Amino acid sequence: MTLTLVVQAILAGVTNGIVYALVGMGLAAIFKGSRVINAMQGEFAVIGAMTTVLLLTKLQWPYAAAIAAGAGVGALLGAGIELAFVRYMMRKNATEDSFLLLTIGLALTLSASVLYFIGRDGHLLPPLGGEGVFLIFDAVIQIHAVWLIAIGLAATLLLRAFYHRTHIGLSMMAASIDADGAATTGIDVGRMRTFTFVLGGLLGALGGILVTPLIGVDYQLGLNLTLKGFAAAVLGGLTNPLGAVIGGITLGLVESLAIIGVSSSYKDVIAYSVLIVIMILMPQGILGRAGRRGG
Amino acid sequence: MRSNLVWLTLGLIVWAALPFIVPRSTADLLVFTGIYAIAGLGIGLLLGQCGIVNLAQATFYGLGAYGSAYCTVTLGLPSAVGFVVGAVLSMVLAYVIGRPILRLTGYFLALGTLALSAIASALFFEWDWLTGGTLGIGGIPKLELFGFALDRPSRYYFFVWILAFGCMALARNLVDSRTGLMLRAMRDSSTAAASLSIDLQSLRTRIFVLCALFGSLAGSLFAHHASFVSVQSFTVDRSINFLLIPVVGGATSIPGVVAGALFVTFLPELLSKLGDFHQILFGLALVAVVVALPDGLMGAFSRLRGMIAARRSGNAG
Amino acid sequence: MQADPALLALQGVGHSFGGLSVLRSVTFDVPAGEIVGLIGPNGSGKTTLFNIVSGYIRPLVGNILYRGTPFGRETIQQRSHAGLVRTFQTPQVFEKMTVLENVMAGCCKLTRTSLLQDLFRTPTARGQLREIREQAEAACERFQLAGMRDVPAASLTAGQRRILEIARAVVGKPSLLLLDEPSSGLNGQEIENLREWIVRLNADDGMTVLLVSHDMGLMTVANMVHTLYFGEIIASGDMTAIQRHPKVREVYLGV
Repeated sequence: MTLTLVVQAILAGVTNGIVYALVGMGLAAIFKGSRVINAMQGEFAVIGAMTTVLLLTKLQWPYAAAIAAGAGVGALLGAGIELAFVRYMMRKNATEDSFLLLTIGLALTLSASVLYFIGRDGHLLPPLGGEGVFLIFDAVIQIHAVWLIAIGLAATLLLRAFYHRTHIGLSMMAASIDADGAATTGIDVGRMRTFTFVLGGLLGALGGILVTPLIGVDYQLGLNLTLKGFAAAVLGGLTNPLGAVIGGITLGLVESLAIIGVSSSYKDVIAYSVLIVIMILMPQGILGRAGRRGG
Repeated sequence: MRSNLVWLTLGLIVWAALPFIVPRSTADLLVFTGIYAIAGLGIGLLLGQCGIVNLAQATFYGLGAYGSAYCTVTLGLPSAVGFVVGAVLSMVLAYVIGRPILRLTGYFLALGTLALSAIASALFFEWDWLTGGTLGIGGIPKLELFGFALDRPSRYYFFVWILAFGCMALARNLVDSRTGLMLRAMRDSSTAAASLSIDLQSLRTRIFVLCALFGSLAGSLFAHHASFVSVQSFTVDRSINFLLIPVVGGATSIPGVVAGALFVTFLPELLSKLGDFHQILFGLALVAVVVALPDGLMGAFSRLRGMIAARRSGNAG
Repeated sequence: MQADPALLALQGVGHSFGGLSVLRSVTFDVPAGEIVGLIGPNGSGKTTLFNIVSGYIRPLVGNILYRGTPFGRETIQQRSHAGLVRTFQTPQVFEKMTVLENVMAGCCKLTRTSLLQDLFRTPTARGQLREIREQAEAACERFQLAGMRDVPAASLTAGQRRILEIARAVVGKPSLLLLDEPSSGLNGQEIENLREWIVRLNADDGMTVLLVSHDMGLMTVANMVHTLYFGEIIASGDMTAIQRHPKVREVYLGV
């Protein structure tokens, strides 16, 4: 157990954690805005990343434009899902189970579509800032990872500013706390809900795009990110999307520190077990107040 | 009443004749339908009677399959042992994991079971010294019943389906019993059910264990049918497929499980020319059923029957 | 004649949510065979008290004694089994089940079948179910719900739901019936009907009733009424005495 090893684990943990945080923030934002747990949140990441890959490699777009487009596709997908399915089911007063089954069905459809249209192989994106690395106590961290962490934290701050300072953000908070009350003050609850899905899609896609240069994107990544994003969101307290940052980093650290002892192939098993444990022991998360206890 | 009996007899005759009429590949698929019906039945009980979404069935299906495979191939024990080992493992795991996890409700519970399935799938892959990993375990012998080898799909068909009908009869008993009442009460209002002295935790755990038993039974039957098991059959996708069975068929309907199982078995086959396209259609089917047919096919069917009957009595009157 | 211990006794019960004190030193008895009322404006802690007595919440301070022994860590189900059944402010009927099935659910506590017995439909299981059905049908007759036996509970009106909830609670042969705001959502005729049922259950079945309401008219059915105001009992007595009590008048009428 050398210092290098521990530092390496911490760096990896924080890097992964920010990715989980981004996915989780989107999930928590959607939950906060619509009380729907989006079991296809990870697919936003995959679709966003795949879009960027395709635009970059097939259509030779400049990297920045491809990234923007990928994030945009995630946002559009979110909007599309809300408008096509969620709104209809909300009108019919569908049960919580139905929404869950809906998002699971969508997750399956999307990941199967990626498998069918793109194939089994993983795809990479070029790392930001080139192939270079930094050395901290002999532990390696890619420049891209530093960019990832910075962008992730910036996104968190922007999200916070959005919720607390912009008109739309405040309206979304109001609509999520009390839909009827919000409606009486002229807030279009339906449109707010669409925006939360747009936000969720955007954050998910961003997470996917940022993680692809490190581990590649394939059709199976979606489920993985959904579960870990959900863990991050729960750890941070589902009622507070910003808490997902704390949750994500915590999860990432637990993951990478735990696999110092065992083989790294148990990484996912450990993360999923953490999810189960925190749902049972700490459903309100590290930060959150006792909100609804999972249904 | 009379017409129901006629339909039932006709159905039984058709059922008995099928494996001899259809091509061997179809008979093979019909065996799978029976196996899936058993696994889907457990999920249907949890979904329809308790309102619980269980996405972990592939775990127990896998335990049953690997239990049978390991015991018969690696240890050379009789097949019955494999069935029992798989069943015991599944029930114990279901109890140990179920007790804490079933305190959750709604989304948390569903995602907890999803996480469980993902963990199991990863462990089946990692522990390849036990499961053979992607290479799997092959050479699982066909079953023998009193010296009568069940080595043809037509023979295995009867074995599997009689078991399936048996399980459906048990499920029917359960639904119509005092326990069934308590389950539905718990589903509709757990607060009120508690005030009537209904032990929610204990009930949930027991049905979860029962569901795992059905999953394990299906898994063992699968192992002896396919003669070869490997991790690809026990992924999260499989769990979702099992969930699809009662959703498509109608969660509260026991015959609906057969409809759902037929859907899940034959659709990939019909679309096999299109490669992996069938998973896309599964996803879309799940979405379509959730959005348009909340009671599944059987629900839509009974609504249709109701409409026809109403129109008939309207015309007569 | 020796005085029997009260069926239910509250001793110094206190509770708070977060920093907000909801109940303070609540002490009163519910003697067997009596109808006791709890009246008070909204937010006075009545429902919290009910939740505490029935076991949905554990109180921070105080004791609940049932038949002389304190409820320690008894669960909701154990208290219900001991004969203490409650109804809810909004009737919690089993929406997707029929009226008869709702009442049958109330009978389940009277019998025991294991999962295996029910799975295999043993003679014991069949017998128990038959008993449950008979008792439920008798209860439906008694509560005039027989005509709606096979109707899903979701289609019932508020008044009918309330009666169904009570029928379902009563069929399990409780000793103490806790009614939480039973008149809420009911019209005048339905409240009258409800009132009759409470009197009848008490007189014919000897059922002890603890009734929470803000409806003073309904409260006249109780022999003893305690007034709860911001978590404390400020007056006790029969309705006439309560209505004349200076503190009550101050609180309700501002005089």
